[in-house]
Amino acid sequence: MNANAHWLDERRAEAANRFAALGLPHRRIEDWKYSDLKSALDGANDDGAVAWTVGTLPEGVELFDLSNASAAPDWVKAHLGTLPQNAMASASLAQARTGFALRAPKGRAIAQPLSLTFAGHGTVRGLVVLEDGAALTLIEIGPGVGISNLGVEIVVGANAQLTHIRMAPHAGAAVQVEEYAATIARDGRYCAHLFNGGSKLSRAEFQIALAGTGASAHLSGVSVLGDGAHADVTTHIVHAVGHTTSTQLFKHVAGGKSRAVYQGRITVEQGADKSDSRQTAKALLMGERAEADLKPELEIFADDVKCAHGAAVGDLDANSLFYLRARGIPEAEARNMLVRAFLEEAVDEIADETIRASVWQAVEDALPKAMQP
Amino acid sequence: MLEIKDLHVAVDGKEILKGLTLSIAAGQVHAIMGPNGSGKSTLSYVLAGRAGYDVTSGSITYNGEDLTALAPEQRASKGVFLAMQYPVEIPGVTTLTFLKTALNAQRRARGEKEVDAMTVLKTVRARAAALKVSEEMLKRALNVGFSGGEKKRLEILQMSLFEPKLAILDETDSGLDIDALKLVAEGVNALRSPDRAMLVITHYQRLLDYIVPDRIHVLAKGRIVAEGGKELAHELEAKGYEHIVGKAA
Repeated sequence: MNANAHWLDERRAEAANRFAALGLPHRRIEDWKYSDLKSALDGANDDGAVAWTVGTLPEGVELFDLSNASAAPDWVKAHLGTLPQNAMASASLAQARTGFALRAPKGRAIAQPLSLTFAGHGTVRGLVVLEDGAALTLIEIGPGVGISNLGVEIVVGANAQLTHIRMAPHAGAAVQVEEYAATIARDGRYCAHLFNGGSKLSRAEFQIALAGTGASAHLSGVSVLGDGAHADVTTHIVHAVGHTTSTQLFKHVAGGKSRAVYQGRITVEQGADKSDSRQTAKALLMGERAEADLKPELEIFADDVKCAHGAAVGDLDANSLFYLRARGIPEAEARNMLVRAFLEEAVDEIADETIRASVWQAVEDALPKAMQP
Repeated sequence: MLEIKDLHVAVDGKEILKGLTLSIAAGQVHAIMGPNGSGKSTLSYVLAGRAGYDVTSGSITYNGEDLTALAPEQRASKGVFLAMQYPVEIPGVTTLTFLKTALNAQRRARGEKEVDAMTVLKTVRARAAALKVSEEMLKRALNVGFSGGEKKRLEILQMSLFEPKLAILDETDSGLDIDALKLVAEGVNALRSPDRAMLVITHYQRLLDYIVPDRIHVLAKGRIVAEGGKELAHELEAKGYEHIVGKAA
């Protein structure tokens, strides 16, 4: 990003100070208990550059390249670096040399999905702003090598709707950290779906504030992990005001010596009555070496709320497997059917048929490795 | 068609079947009756090839072939069908998709041509009506939210669709009211044929009023303790198992 942009320099300096104070996350921090970032970074390739490209830019969407910060329009200055930033998000703001800012202007419902593809590796900063009444579908894909730190701020205006699909295909020895900080205004809706095909270490963290009455966040995702993969989904949804809704549904299939982590904290703040939140995380372990750590957490400071959570770790149901085989379906095919059936509930959260089909394709590509015990 | 000789089966190291001998010829319907815990369901599972049911001695021969050497799916494609006492619920697998997958897996194993979705749908529809299996049930996830009667009707629908050579019905009458029982029995009777053998496992005589067997075997403590014609069911109903089992002991 251009060093001449004074406004950004200040925010980057603040972020650098914050990162210096917080330091690189380590396992003694509760939020990072299950993911050893420091060890994963040892020996990982951090010598590279990241590039992002958008597919066809849908009509009505504004795209701004943060490398040219001195020319930033007001909406970028108004929002970039304003949401709460954890250590890695601070690092991405402080260090990113490239970044994107997207805006769907007021009242514009953009039908055509916008795809954003990352290549190479490195640090990227992003900003997505949906002004009041806007609607947009954003599909993020990659990257797939080396060390990446992606920090994106998301601002969903009143009555606006962002559908956010995050595709992280199988990425071998890559270490990928992503933080999404979102704020959702009155009657705004944020739907995110995360597909993770597994890498040495990946962590997707969502910090979401339901800031206006009627705001909702719907997170779902699947991790399909083969031997050696470690995938961490960490969420923190804050119901800051009443009559807000959040749902979460994450499913993991872990094969080989892989590890799936889900940590989901829901905070219902004082006075946020009539908040409704549900979170479910399930993991299917394909062998004895695979591991899953699922940790739903509730912090409720309001009285009149509905909060439900559930977590389950298990292997394929022997009764179901026998039933299918007894009907003539070979064991491998029967296992495949049951694993797909397990994942289906989460993939079905994607409303768009074409996007859902491409996520299924990614699941199919990743499954053979994940099915190995 | 089916020859079981001196069969001993253990589950978790505990012997459940202790020398069971039984033979069923093509075209015949046999019934196995017996008190709870006598080994009836163990017999059905061992015939279908469920893991954990260990044949410790004896033999099961099906059409001249050692049945115990085959995986469950191989048995199914060779015509062995078990209508289960407790059909499992499988969320995420649509009933119709399951029927098509199973039918084509069996056909593939037999070297037959697979059938397309439309043909499966037509065949299933034609057979479903008689069993009062609704179109809506076929679209739902397999057995999920089905009543006991619906699950059993779907089992019989599968039997009708797969056209097995040896059908084993494990307590198909359990949990059925009289109307559902009649419906299921009609479905079973429609499948009686000179080249098909059936083994009906039941606790009560009631089902055998509707599916009249050629032969009845009484299983107790892992062995056949009495055998007879259809009138044996009425004797059991009148005098109870203890009378027969006690006499045999």
